[in-house]
Amino acid sequence: MSEAREKHLDELREIVAEVLEVEPEEITETGSFVEEHEADSLRAIEILARIEKKYKIDIPQSELPQMENLKAVYDVVAHQAGWQD
Amino acid sequence: MNATAITPDTPGHQDVRENTLAITGWGVVTSLAIGADEFTTAIGEGRSGLREVTGMFDEELPEHEAFAMPDFKVRDHLGRKGTSFFDRSTSLGLLGCTLALDDTDLTVTDDNRDRFGIVLGTTAGSIKATSDYSRETLEGDKPFRVNPVLFPNTVMNCAAGQSAIWLGLKGVNATVAGGRLAGLSALRYARNQIRRGYADALLVGSAEEFSPHTAWFSHRQHSAEEGRVKVGEGSAVFVVENAEAVRAQGRTPDAEVLAVEVGSYGAPGREPDAGAGLADRIGRALRRAAVEPSQVRAVATGESGIARLDDIERRGVDSALGGEVWRVRASEWVGECQSASGSLQLAALLAGHRGHPELDGAVSVVTSVSPDGGVGVAVVRGWHRARGDHRG
Amino acid sequence: MNRRVVITGLGPVSSIGTGVTAFGQALRAGTSGISAISSFDSSGFPHYMAGEVLDFDPKALLRTLATSEWGRTSLFAAAAARLAVEDAGIDEKVLAGAAAGSSIGTTSGESQVIEALTAEWVHSGLDQITPAYAAQVPASRLAAAVNQELGLTGEAVTLSTACSASNYALGYAYDQIVTGDADYMIAGGADSVCRWAHAGFYRLGALTEKVCSPFDKDRSGILTGEGGAALFLESLESATERGAHIYAEVLGYGLNCDANHMVAPDPVSIAECMRRAHHNAGIAPADVDYICAHGTGTPANDAMEAQAVVEVFGTRPPPISSIKSMLGHTMGAASGFGAIASALAIDEGFLPPTTNYRTPDPELPAIDPVPNESRPAQPKVVQNNGFAFGGNNAITILGRVA
Repeated sequence: MSEAREKHLDELREIVAEVLEVEPEEITETGSFVEEHEADSLRAIEILARIEKKYKIDIPQSELPQMENLKAVYDVVAHQAGWQD
Repeated sequence: MNATAITPDTPGHQDVRENTLAITGWGVVTSLAIGADEFTTAIGEGRSGLREVTGMFDEELPEHEAFAMPDFKVRDHLGRKGTSFFDRSTSLGLLGCTLALDDTDLTVTDDNRDRFGIVLGTTAGSIKATSDYSRETLEGDKPFRVNPVLFPNTVMNCAAGQSAIWLGLKGVNATVAGGRLAGLSALRYARNQIRRGYADALLVGSAEEFSPHTAWFSHRQHSAEEGRVKVGEGSAVFVVENAEAVRAQGRTPDAEVLAVEVGSYGAPGREPDAGAGLADRIGRALRRAAVEPSQVRAVATGESGIARLDDIERRGVDSALGGEVWRVRASEWVGECQSASGSLQLAALLAGHRGHPELDGAVSVVTSVSPDGGVGVAVVRGWHRARGDHRG
Repeated sequence: MNRRVVITGLGPVSSIGTGVTAFGQALRAGTSGISAISSFDSSGFPHYMAGEVLDFDPKALLRTLATSEWGRTSLFAAAAARLAVEDAGIDEKVLAGAAAGSSIGTTSGESQVIEALTAEWVHSGLDQITPAYAAQVPASRLAAAVNQELGLTGEAVTLSTACSASNYALGYAYDQIVTGDADYMIAGGADSVCRWAHAGFYRLGALTEKVCSPFDKDRSGILTGEGGAALFLESLESATERGAHIYAEVLGYGLNCDANHMVAPDPVSIAECMRRAHHNAGIAPADVDYICAHGTGTPANDAMEAQAVVEVFGTRPPPISSIKSMLGHTMGAASGFGAIASALAIDEGFLPPTTNYRTPDPELPAIDPVPNESRPAQPKVVQNNGFAFGGNNAITILGRVA
């Protein structure tokens, strides 16, 4: 795993943990936000909004259903932000 | 006065009874104390809730002291999960609700939650949360980069709605934007819901937060008032039920709300005179409660050192109850708490009853006056709570 | 005391018309009140449409209030109340001397005042804010404005239960007259278009771009709107005695709370609220001839509302239309406009349409949204839905006086 990828994942994990009100360590790459952390649609949009704010990017809301775990979030953001991690 | 002068057999009382609310528990969140028993003790000792508030927010504050809680965090009371996005008004209102439920002998079950509701008073919800949200649209690179999860904090019914979710109360859920009248208006709204049979029990009260906004709004309007009580924050919430039903269950209430009357007159200095209006409403409330003015032991006023408002309240009370009746000025202990003030005044009266059996059955009055010409009055009869009652 | 309560005056101040005649004609014609936003700078927002009352002229409508002392939302409330009283044709002095008051619903109160204060905060600091604006912040001023405009000394209560608030207000006013606590009440609601709500709904993905199309397969959200809605209430006896025109009777109302989620509607709870309203009004589902929908035009609301309707009414429910297709979502005024539309439907014999309806939603087969054109009908009983953030459901039931 590249250093850049790790840094980005940590940043995203931090955002997700704060929105879902859990400790960052509890957010695994493939753990479902909904099933493991009681995420709902409002929290999901909040995650998206915080990512847009932080990285100054626009993520289409049609991507929301895919963003169900940390790895999926990373993939969507990497694509939208053009990360070459 | 003789506290036992009024008994349930007093002529006229029977008519009133079906409209009477029983208070079977209450909760308070103030800089003075958190919880009914703690508040009772603090009031009894005559303590003040005035605190140093410098550095409480990023924004500078107009004054160094306020009746505020610089260290208050809702998570310390209710945990982190589910509370991290609450605005301060919601936190204060919800905590008041949970404390009131802890204080009553009524429990929420699947059998009663459909007819158990919440009525909370406010000025304009969390003004800080709303203004912060508005500010987000003015700053940053794009105006729509706001936080979705904070959007519900911009609606005034956030505290009541979140409290219902937290406590699982599916009955009537209302928010009364009454400003300084909010406590009494919420009580009146609740009285109507219960007498009409729409609800069996309600958590009723009001909350006001301290923020740079409320501090500056007050300062910019009233800084010339020399005797002004400093701004405060807090909440007081009461569990109210149909008094008849409570008696039938053999339970003892902390108090009965015998009448709540409100009216709307001219703003200070304008016609029709709100002072005369308040006197009229007090008179009506006492008649409804079948209580003589001479039987009123105490009046808890909303006076907070803003001369034109205090003048209205003083004239109204003097005219209806005479100048001798004992005045309780709750704002001296808890500050100028705007929409929370009426509820805190009532809490101060109930605190007086809690440890004092000799006051059982005594009748008191709560009055409120708003800068828009609104006036309100509640008539309450209180009882002590024997050690071991309810929470024991 | 247990008096029957009737509506004898209507006061709409809306983006499709001010005054009962203009509003009624616009409702029948399916007029759109949507235009490009002018009350705040919408540059930078991808969406920029709303239902603003562009021709609102408080000075022309109000007789007592000094308009400079009040915020836009209070002026909406007072102007609507003034129109309702004029429509009721009651002598102003008689009214002022009676046991009369107001209950007014709102979502955001004086939102434009709070936005003006916020702008001052951003540009100059909180220590420089205008004291007169600070004095206008309390939402209690909405009902106070109504009472002061009309010289009423009874209760003035502002109920801030978000987007169902007018139904709360109407229900409370009804109770005041039923019980004899008041003889006349003005009930309704008011809100103003504001920047933060536009931003918030956009961010939630709940704000459509240009056209609000409730119940349509391709519906994509709300447009925010504004205005003031007021109804004049008195006892049937009083209305009959003074020979007033009666639009409709208030039969009752129901309130409950989802206690589940702040923004997501709950069809089970909404269905329960309908049953409560029916119970309190003493009617059965089969008695309802028309439902004035909450019908915001978001995919979720309309689906949940339809699901609740089917649960309560079965697979052949009465026609259900959304006037938000014309007005946008007027927030705390919405169910007030719904109540006015319902009263007009009963009185004038028509069902207001859901405009902008193109494609039936195969997921909502039971729904007859009265598509695009108003329909002649003689509804005897109408159900007016109002739902809100916080799970605050409120439904009023109006009926023709038998």
